Amino acid sequence: MVAAEIVLLLSFAAVLYRFFRGPTQWDRLLAYNSASNRVIVILAIVAILTEQDIYLDVAIVYAALSFLGLVILARFTERGEGYR
Amino acid sequence: MISFSIMCLGLLFVVIGSVGIIRFGDIYSRLQASGVSDNAGLGLILIGLIVRGGLEMHDLALVILLFLLLLTNPIVTHCIARSAFIQRHTGVEEEE
Repeated sequence: MVAAEIVLLLSFAAVLYRFFRGPTQWDRLLAYNSASNRVIVILAIVAILTEQDIYLDVAIVYAALSFLGLVILARFTERGEGYR
Repeated sequence: MISFSIMCLGLLFVVIGSVGIIRFGDIYSRLQASGVSDNAGLGLILIGLIVRGGLEMHDLALVILLFLLLLTNPIVTHCIARSAFIQRHTGVEEEE
């Protein structure tokens, strides 16, 4: 379980490299999506490992809020320059 | 033992997806690597957490979390790809 957390944190660092490097804005949106997915699974592993089920509720709320923010950002960037 | 095997398979998918996100050339390839391997790998890790131990109360929250993850990840990937396509992004790497 702890090894799974370590592997997930290493892949989180790999996704953060794409977030800060990414040439376009969609690469950053993609990296944000992958990073929030990894954070959700790390929270689930921590909740099972420490026997505290409150972290699962935190993970569910985090999943819903990151989905909302990502859909809003993606729909906003498809309209191009200026507001319409 | 079953939980360990399923979680190892999921971690393999996650590592392959991270290598794909770093190494691929354009935005659509990276979106495919992210969308496919994140769904498979993180879903398998959550299934491995569900089958670990007996039937307890927090398995319901894990099932809800798995359902939410499998529902929202393809929608977000589709929205990002649609945004990149509408903006006439040609798929050519812009660095260098």
